[in-house]
Amino acid sequence: MIHFDGVGKRFGTGVVALQDVTVRIDPGEFVFLVGPTGSGKSTFLELIQRIERPTAGRITVDGTEVSALPSAQVPFLRRRLGVVFQEFKLLPDRSVFENVAFALRVTETDPVEIGPRVQWALDTVGMASRAGDLPARLSGGEQQRVGIARAIVTRPRVVLADEPTGNLDPEAAWEIMHLLSAINLRGTTVLVTTHNHTLVDILRRRVIELHAGRVVRDEARGLYQTAS
Amino acid sequence: MFGDAVAGLRRNGLMVAAATATIAVALAVAGAGFLVSANLVHVAAILESQVEVVGFLRRDTSAAQQQRVLAAVQAVPGVRSAVIVSRGEALRRLQRTFTSMASINSALPSNPLPDSIEVRVAEARDVRAVAQALQQLDGVDEVTYGALVVDRLVALTRAVRISGIALAGLLAVAALLIIVNTIRLTIEARRQEIEIMTLVGATPGFVRGPFILEGALQGAGAALLSTIVITGGYAALASQASASLPFLPVLAPAMVLPQSLALVWLLGIAVGIAGSEIGLRRHLAT
Repeated sequence: MIHFDGVGKRFGTGVVALQDVTVRIDPGEFVFLVGPTGSGKSTFLELIQRIERPTAGRITVDGTEVSALPSAQVPFLRRRLGVVFQEFKLLPDRSVFENVAFALRVTETDPVEIGPRVQWALDTVGMASRAGDLPARLSGGEQQRVGIARAIVTRPRVVLADEPTGNLDPEAAWEIMHLLSAINLRGTTVLVTTHNHTLVDILRRRVIELHAGRVVRDEARGLYQTAS
Repeated sequence: MFGDAVAGLRRNGLMVAAATATIAVALAVAGAGFLVSANLVHVAAILESQVEVVGFLRRDTSAAQQQRVLAAVQAVPGVRSAVIVSRGEALRRLQRTFTSMASINSALPSNPLPDSIEVRVAEARDVRAVAQALQQLDGVDEVTYGALVVDRLVALTRAVRISGIALAGLLAVAALLIIVNTIRLTIEARRQEIEIMTLVGATPGFVRGPFILEGALQGAGAALLSTIVITGGYAALASQASASLPFLPVLAPAMVLPQSLALVWLLGIAVGIAGSEIGLRRHLAT
C-alpha cells in the first residue's frame, strides 16, 4: 500500500529530514511511527501526501508513484488518504456535521450522497448526537473524533494520523486509539505517529522507529522502545 | 460556486465588512484624486485658451484690407480664432471694465484707440510664433501678447497637468496596494480552511473559484459604496462651487464622473480578483 524505496529528503536549508528510507506497509496494516522530535516522522507523512517531494528514491502509495506525480494529479491522490491532525483542525464557525461534510463538498461529491455519508461517519465515531454543535462546545477527545470522522468520510484506503493523541488526556487518547484500531479492522491501512509509550506498548502493533532521518527499527508487535 | 462565494462572505461577515469599507475608502480617495486631477487639467486648459495676441491695425487700413489681414491671420498655424475689434467696440469695453471712466467720451475730443485684431491660439506655447507671423502682415502696426505672463502661464499649466496626473496615479497605486493587502489578509485569516481543502483533495481550481469570486464581489461592493460617496460628494461640491465661486471653472459632474467611476469599478473588481489570486498563491503551491 505504501512503499518507500531508498527515500531521502533534504530541505533547501540543508537540513536532512530523511535518509535512505526503505519501508513497505501492506494493505490493512496498522503501523506506529515513533522516534524523537525532529527524527523525520512528520516529513514521512508529508511525503506520502505529496506536501513535500523526496530528493532521492521513490515513493508509491496505493499503486501511484507519488514522487513522479504531476501537480494536477495530487488532489486525486489525497482523496484516497484520510488525515487526522494533532490540533484537530476543525473549522470553528461550522457545526460538527458541516465540518465532516466539508471534506465531501470540496471534493465535489454528489450532494445527495453527502447526508448519508456524514451520518455514517458520525455514527462510526459515536458523534451523531452532537452533529449540530460547534467545535467549541466539544471536549478535546470529541473534537478529535470529529477529526477522524472527517478523515474517513471520503472512505480512504489509508488513514494518516499525526500525533492524534498529543493534545488529549489519557482516557480520551485511549478512545481515539480504539477508534483507529476499529477503522483498521474494517480493512483501512492506518499509520500513526506518536510519542505515547503506553499506547504503543499495550497495543503491540508494528513499530517503525526513526532516528535522525533513518529507520533504526522495524518490528512487528513492537514496543515504543527496544526491549534491550 | 456563486453560492459558495456568498456563503463565504456571509460566514466572515465582520471581517468582510471591515475589508469592504477599507477598500471603499481607498477607491473613493483614488476616484476623488482623479476628479481633482481632471479639474486641474481643465483649469490649465481654460487658462491657456484665454491667452490672446492682439495686433493693432494701422489707422489708414480700409475695411477690405482688414478682411485680408483677418483671412491671413486665420491661415497661420496654431491660430484657433481671430476677430476684428473696431475702435468703437474697444472703447466700450474699456468703459465697461473701468466704470469710473464711463464719461471718458465727453472728456476726449475723439476716440484714441485703433482698430485691432484679437487672435486666440490653440496652445499657449504657440503664442510667440503666432505673434511674429502677425507682425509680418501688411496693415498690422504693433503686436502685444504679454510675453512674460504667457511664458509663466505655460510653465504653470505644465506643472499643474503633471502634478494632477501624478496625484491621480499615486492615489490609484496606493488604492491598489491597500486593496491587494486587504484581500490578502482576509484570505490569510481563512488559511486553515484552505489548508484543509487542499489536504482532503480539493483541486486548486475548486479552492480558487469561490475566493476569486468573493474578491470580485468585495471589490464590486466597495466600488458601489465609493460610487455613492463620489457621486454625492462631487455633485454637492460642484454646485456649491458654482454658486459661491463662479470664477472657478469646475467641471460639470456629467463631464467627469463617468470616467472617475469607471476607474473606481475597474480598480475595485480587477484588483479584488488580483488580490485573491496573490493571497491564494502561497497556499496552493504543490
